[in-house]
Formats: sequence, C-alpha cells, structure tokens
Amino acid sequence: MSLRSGYIHTAVATMRTNRWRSLLTMFGITVGVASVIVIIGISQGVKNEITNQVYAYSKNVITVTSKAANLSNFGVPQIPTVSTLTNQDVSSISKIKGVKASVPMIVESGLVTGEKTFRGGVVIATSPDLPSVINQSLAYGSFFSSADTSSDPAVLGYNASSGLFKENVPLGFSFTWRGQTFIVDGVLNSFRATPFSNNTLYNNAIFIPVASAKQLIPGGGSLFQILVRVDNSKDLSQVAARISAALLRNHGGQSNFSVLLPSQVAQNNTGILNLLTELTIGIALISLFVGGVGIMNVMLVSVAERIHEIGIRKAIGASNRQVMSQFLVESTTVSITGGLIGIGLALIADLVLKLSTNLSPSINWEIIVIGAAVSMLIGIVFGSIPAIRAAGKEPIEALRNE
Amino acid sequence: MPLIKLEDVSKLYGFGDATTLALDEVSLSIDKGEFVAVMGPSGSGKSTLLNVLGLLDRPTNGTYRLQNRLVDRLSQSRAAKLRRDTIGFIFQSYNLLPKLTVLENVALPLTYKGIGATKRFKQASQILERVGMQNREYYYPYQLSGGQIQCAAIARALVNDPSIIIADEPTGNLDSAGSRLVMELLSEIHKMGNTIIFVTHNPELTKYATRVVYMRDGMIIEDEPTMIGEVAKTVRRRLYTQPRMTAEDDLMGVSLLMKAVPDKAVSKSSSSKRTKSKKGTTSRRKRRYQKVKST
Repeated sequence: MSLRSGYIHTAVATMRTNRWRSLLTMFGITVGVASVIVIIGISQGVKNEITNQVYAYSKNVITVTSKAANLSNFGVPQIPTVSTLTNQDVSSISKIKGVKASVPMIVESGLVTGEKTFRGGVVIATSPDLPSVINQSLAYGSFFSSADTSSDPAVLGYNASSGLFKENVPLGFSFTWRGQTFIVDGVLNSFRATPFSNNTLYNNAIFIPVASAKQLIPGGGSLFQILVRVDNSKDLSQVAARISAALLRNHGGQSNFSVLLPSQVAQNNTGILNLLTELTIGIALISLFVGGVGIMNVMLVSVAERIHEIGIRKAIGASNRQVMSQFLVESTTVSITGGLIGIGLALIADLVLKLSTNLSPSINWEIIVIGAAVSMLIGIVFGSIPAIRAAGKEPIEALRNE
Repeated sequence: MPLIKLEDVSKLYGFGDATTLALDEVSLSIDKGEFVAVMGPSGSGKSTLLNVLGLLDRPTNGTYRLQNRLVDRLSQSRAAKLRRDTIGFIFQSYNLLPKLTVLENVALPLTYKGIGATKRFKQASQILERVGMQNREYYYPYQLSGGQIQCAAIARALVNDPSIIIADEPTGNLDSAGSRLVMELLSEIHKMGNTIIFVTHNPELTKYATRVVYMRDGMIIEDEPTMIGEVAKTVRRRLYTQPRMTAEDDLMGVSLLMKAVPDKAVSKSSSSKRTKSKKGTTSRRKRRYQKVKST
C-alpha cells in the first residue's frame, strides 16, 4: 500500500535525522533480542547434543529407575541413597520376552586408590553385559566376563583411568577400594560428555562385578538403575509395558519405580537445562521490556517535538487514525530495526561460540522469526500510547505550537 | 444556495475570568466564486472565523452549513475528511513540512486520500506547473524564497481540488514582490471559479477581492462588495478621508490619528492613550460575554 510505504519512508527519514537517538533507543531491543536468541540457541544446541548421545549409547535401551531417583526437583538425575529396586527385579526383567540383555547399575561412592588417589569417581557394580547394552567399546583390554570369578576384575571409565594411574594403558595394574584390591581388565572409550547427562558419570566410573560388590557394600548396595536392551526397537514400548507389569507384581502393586524410554531419559536429562534457559530468557525479557519503555519514552518526546507537524498534517486532512498509524509505524520501525540488528548480533555470537567453544548452539529460523515478531510487537505495544496521544491533538492547538 | 452559511456563531475560549469571546454571534453567508477579504485589528476574531470556516475549530454556539450540510458538530475524523476533500489551507508561515520536498509536500493531501504514489506525484506535478513551480519540484522548502514557498503551499491547497480556499494572512511574511506573486496567483485561481477567503492587514490587497468583511471584537462591523482592481470603499474612506471626531471619542481621549484605519497603525502607535482605548475594549468584551451568558 502506498500510504504505508509513505509512513515507512517518513519513519526512516525521521530515524536518519535523529540518528543517535534512534540507535540508543534500539539498543535495549537489540540486546534483548540478541540475548534471547543466543540463549535459546545454546540451550537447543546442548539439548540436541544430549539427545544425540542418549540415542547413540542407548537407542534401544529402557532405563528402569527407582522412583526415589526422580524425587529431586528440576529433573536433575540424582543417585538415590535408598533404592526401591531389588535383585529380584533384575532377574524378572531378564526373563521378559523381547529383552536382549539387562544390567543392574549399583552405585557406591568411596575413595579409590591406585597409583594416585581418585576423588571424583564413583564405583558402579554391574554385570558383564554392560558394553553391549550401552553400545560402548573399550579403548584397551576387555570387559570382565561372567567366567572371570577368581580374581576381582575392574574396568575403568576414561577419566577414572587417568585419575588413578600415571600410566596411559594401566592394564593389569591394581587399585584398592574399601580394602579390596582390584585388577584393571580394561578401559572404556571416552563417552561424549555434556553437562547434566549420565555420560559424565560413566567417564568417571569404576565398573566392578556385582558379586565383588556384594561383599564390600553393607546391605548389597543401592540399585541406581537397571538398563534393559531390547531385541527390536519397534517393541520398545511393549517391552516397557511388560517390565512395568512384572515389577508391579514384584513390588506388590506399588509403582515406586519408573520405566523410561530413551526419549524420556533425554527429557529428564534436559530438565535442569530447561529451567536455566527459562530463567535467563526471563532476564532477557526484562531487558526487552525496558527497551520497550525506552521506545515509548522517545516516542513521547518525538510527539511533543512534532506537535506543529501533526497540526499541519491534520489541517490538510489527516484523520486521527492516519496520524496514529504514522507514529505507530515509526515506533515499530525503530523496534524492528533494533530486533534485526539483535538477530544479526546473535548470529555472529553463534558463529563465535561455534568456533571458540565446544558448544554447538543451534539457531533455527523459527527463533529468528519469533525474535523479529517480538520486536515488532514491542514497537506496537509501547508505541501505541504516544501514537494515541499524537492522534488526539486538536488541530488548532497543534498548529499554534511552534 | 450559499456555499457557506454561518448563523449566530459564537466562539468562547478559556474558563472563568480568562474567558474571551473570539466570535460574537457572527452571521455570514458566502456564495460560490466569491473572493472575500477579511480585515480587522489583531484579536478581532479573523483567525478564529477562518478556523471555524475551515473546520479546524468548532463553534461554541450557532450553526454552520457548508454546501448545505450542517457541519458545526462534526466528529474529529469526519471533520478531517471534509477538510481533506473540500478545503484548502494557506498559512502565513507556509507550514510546509521541512523534511519533505516541494513535490512530496504538495502530494501530501492526496496521500491521506489513499491515492497511489505514481498518480499523486503526477497530480502534484501538474498543480505545481499551474503555479509556476514545475522546476522546483525536488527542492526542499529551505532552498526557496518566501514567495516560492507560499506558491508551493498554494499548490498544496489546490491539489485536492477544494471548493473553498482559506488563507490566513498569506502575504504576512512576504515582501511586496512575494505578496504580488502570491496575490496574482490567488486571483488567477479565483478566476477559474474557486471560492477564496483570506485575511489581510494590507488595505491594498482588497483590490483583488470581490467582497470585504471588517471585523472588530468578534463581530462583523462592515460587509461590503467591492470591485476587483479597486481598494475597498471603507478602507479608502478611512485611508484617504479625515475621520470625524465624536463626542465619545473626545471623552475617551481617542485622537484622530488613531482613528485612521488600518487598525494595525493604531496598534503600532504606543501612546498612553492606546492603553485607555484597550481598557474600553476589554470592558465591552466583558459586557458581551455577560450577554451571551444570560441568553
């Protein structure tokens, strides 16, 4: 429409004449839009990464956890002190149709001493099927087998290996945990780790057989989770239902456990991230709001400065609505320009983050469209009061104002 | 059927003691094709009359018919529409938008009519040619002389083909050459059948008018037809003949010199007597205001 383009023309001309003022006004919107987009991008990137990892290591894996594990807020995976899962559950699950293999994960903390003392580690008692269940290969050596009952074998996570030994390949080396000496059978390959995912845990873990653990842990230890690999990915949900039914029977009808599909695990792992993202977006939104108030302020000044112009326009036939549109288009032009600059900055920040950190933020076009739409909305909302004021001026009064 | 018909139109400004009566039950009818000069001292209500006629202001009392349509109680948006379609304004201070070129300024009323860019610039260009400004289309107002700016402003007033052109002291800021340029242009427009109403302080300019209306204290005190090319009779009489002293004048200390219209001359002379006469004016105004109140 010609009239609209005329308004935009006027708006751009006004912005040009008040270059500094317009730039400073835009600044709030620019910062707000840029930060919202960057934050969403980073969060989305991390989420993608987590999901990829979950699917890489446990595509066909059902995770059974104690309900207590999910008691903590914000969906942060936590190691429970007391688990509701029992060894009986492990054996019932292994008998279910469609289950290829299942491994218990008993988690214990404690000081582990090899050549060095490793403080960041956890000890996980599990069964020999673990590498095949979580689809991870060994860097060196082999995983302990069920036949290997004579000595006390152990397999180290990648970080645990370097934490315990100076040696790069510590096969055959020994370390002690709770007075018991273990011999290193193998070292797992490093898991691609992201914050908030189980993989960090795995990299720092020392895996020992369940049988060895039982003697060292009073009460048999706490069964953190049971990982179940299914034969066919199509059966995932059916097998999960069967597991639920079996466990319900074991637990006397109490559903104090959860059976999670891979997608749900991913969701759980991104819970804290979502919370952080929402918080930061909230702060960025405050910046957008302040930016909007800035626009309103500047537009009010602009209206006051241009009362005479408003008078002229009205005298030659501009209706209230037309005057209002003109000022609305102006405020919206300022805010959209600010938003577009913000989007540009966000894309640059995205590139810099990609090149200089191992985060891989993903900005998709929806976020960009939303960013542009939000900045436009701010222009309209915060520009409306000044615009209504401009439109309401009496032509005579306005003309007299020089 | 007159084009404009005012009946007992009053306009009050302000509240309480600050109330001023700008128009005092003015009745006036103007036919199509008239070229009306409105004269009178400052504060006599000329501009208010023009504002009411131009639908920029609403009368406090009375009725206003424009093209036989009652327009004294129009809403702001309807008034804006009527202004756009039937009235062209020319101001003393030109009032072109400084950031727009001459062409854009002239096309502005068409913009508000919703006419497309190509068409409105073509139309504006034609009008500019009519006022002899076709080679100044892309100039900005500050690059032009006063007379040229006023010609552009006239073009803007004409671009919507209005039935009335209202000019509030169109030559007030111009030198004599500029004044002549503008007045010749206006009279040319008048010859094409337009109705023009203009305010002036310059008695010479009544030469262009077909009718002269004199105002004082918000009232029309004299309304006479005049021949084009001749200075209006009343003005001539006041300019070229000695005014007579009346008993009242003597009493109030008004000198003969002060009675010599144009009234601007009176307001320019800064004698102590002038203050006295002004006092008289104020009291008269107050009396009238009371009269309006009681009715």
